[in-house]
Amino acid sequence: MRLKGKLAIAAFKMFFRQKEAIIWTIALPLFMIFLFSFVDFDSLGTVSLGIVNHSQDTVLLSRLRTVKTLKIHTGDESEELAQLKKGERVLVLVLPGSFEPGAKDTLTLYVNAEKPQESQAGRMMIQRVLDEMAFQRVNVPRPELRAEMVNSRNLTYIDFLLPGIVALSIMQGGIFGVSFSFVILKKRGILRRMLATPMSPSDFISAQVVMRLVVLMVQTAVMVGAGVWVFKIHFIGSLLDMLVVAVLGGVIFLAIGFALSGISKSEDQVAPVANIISLPMMFLSGVFFSRASLPGLAYVVTGFFPLTYLADGLRDIATEGATLTMIWPQLIGLTVWAVISIVLAVKAFRWE
Amino acid sequence: MADTVLEVKQLTKRYDDLLAVNGISFEVHRQEIFGILGPNGAGKTTTLEMIETLRPIDSGTVVLDGLDVTTQAQEVKRRIGVQLQASSFFDKLSLKELLALFGEMYDRRVDPLALLDEVELRDKARSYVVQLSGGQKQRFSIAAALVNNPVILFLDEPTTGLDPQARRHLWGVIRRIRSEGKTIVITTHYMDEAEELCDLVAIMDHGNIVAHAPPQELIRNLIGKGFTKERVERLANLEDVFLDITGHTLRDE
Repeated sequence: MRLKGKLAIAAFKMFFRQKEAIIWTIALPLFMIFLFSFVDFDSLGTVSLGIVNHSQDTVLLSRLRTVKTLKIHTGDESEELAQLKKGERVLVLVLPGSFEPGAKDTLTLYVNAEKPQESQAGRMMIQRVLDEMAFQRVNVPRPELRAEMVNSRNLTYIDFLLPGIVALSIMQGGIFGVSFSFVILKKRGILRRMLATPMSPSDFISAQVVMRLVVLMVQTAVMVGAGVWVFKIHFIGSLLDMLVVAVLGGVIFLAIGFALSGISKSEDQVAPVANIISLPMMFLSGVFFSRASLPGLAYVVTGFFPLTYLADGLRDIATEGATLTMIWPQLIGLTVWAVISIVLAVKAFRWE
Repeated sequence: MADTVLEVKQLTKRYDDLLAVNGISFEVHRQEIFGILGPNGAGKTTTLEMIETLRPIDSGTVVLDGLDVTTQAQEVKRRIGVQLQASSFFDKLSLKELLALFGEMYDRRVDPLALLDEVELRDKARSYVVQLSGGQKQRFSIAAALVNNPVILFLDEPTTGLDPQARRHLWGVIRRIRSEGKTIVITTHYMDEAEELCDLVAIMDHGNIVAHAPPQELIRNLIGKGFTKERVERLANLEDVFLDITGHTLRDE
């Protein structure tokens, strides 16, 4: 036990004395989130509406501004029509000088024919606002829709991205961190030198595993902390639950790292295999973009990726406030992968 | 002769078609410096690694300090000090930390500074291995081999790649360790080194021991057969010149 402790302490010292380690485990993932925080994906769902107002009315304009989906631009007719032709506007609404809210009138709406879905949605919204104003004016009672808001926290892209990046970092740390460091230990005869001592090799391995798991817990906590305080994510889950899922996922990728180091003799051999395993997961496991947009079969297959289970599990906790019992499908998926990868690691790992 | 510390009998190792070690036998006695000589690929390292428990023995026996290497490997590991050819140590741990850690692997609390004194590296206690010169690295790996106060020390080509000053310095370290009561088995392909350092040598070629005697005896036997060097014995050689010009002081610190 004393030896295990000493080995673990030594493992921590070796890890944290490498500047690259801090860069790869903490700085780089945070930098990625930082970069993506500038990308305004939320504007993708909006309808760009140009308004040319020849009237004195301001009520319609202010009503339309309250509709979040509409992005309002105002200008004179020739300007706005030019923007429409360039594709910068979906709709351009012209209010004639005689316009009065609720009065019978004909308004001209120029429609971007290239964007039928968006223009249709925009038209309905404008019509609804006009109808409301007309009803108000004549004071006709009307049935009212009372919307019950469910899950209306307005999740941003960063809310979606951060748990994914945490999962991705766990995968990279496991697969690349372990396989590279063990291949180097092997190549430089360091493992062999230790075999000449009476120490049990499993003590050394377990110290390394403990070190890596603690590192990934620290990594997860730091990233969630940065997410909440710096990137202002909507985090409503339990950090403790996230750490449990992170460790379970970590076990999978550490084991894959050990397996890879077993079948490779040098860093040059390990790199391509590690990339073949990690790249598809990096882009298809729903880290950066939702898997929902994947075509049928790809959607089904990627659902079984270990990184998908990890990213989904972490995300459900972070953004939906899911508890461990609620994400049981992910936990089962992760457990199955953990068993598979540990078996692979035990079979493939070599000391020499 | 003093008591036997290592007894190797009919030791054999085969790799597919290659008979790497072909039924060799020898004995090493307490406080001896025993040299295993031979060209590259002669089977020196394989022999050492079988004795060190690092490589399975195909046939034959090795008894070390009364212990059978095959059946009592764990106990054997406790009694041997090992310096492997071209092996390194962890990065980012200081020499002091490394020695303490290696001590723990033997369940021992060692005094790293005393061990570093033994190989004259105390002033490097806080350095990392990568910051050491070639000679310092070899001396450090000897210090690491001494953490468990071994009965017998195995040094695999410890002076390969060192400059003449560093080699001589290492010979001094090895002699001092022997004088403190250790038995040393060393492999080398430098004949001057074997002649200078070893009490007894075994010359290996193609997995066989082709000669086995004290160096001076082997030389006398050769001369006895009527051998004379083609050129007249010189009173100095180029290495003497080199050392005369560059001095005996170590260059690596």
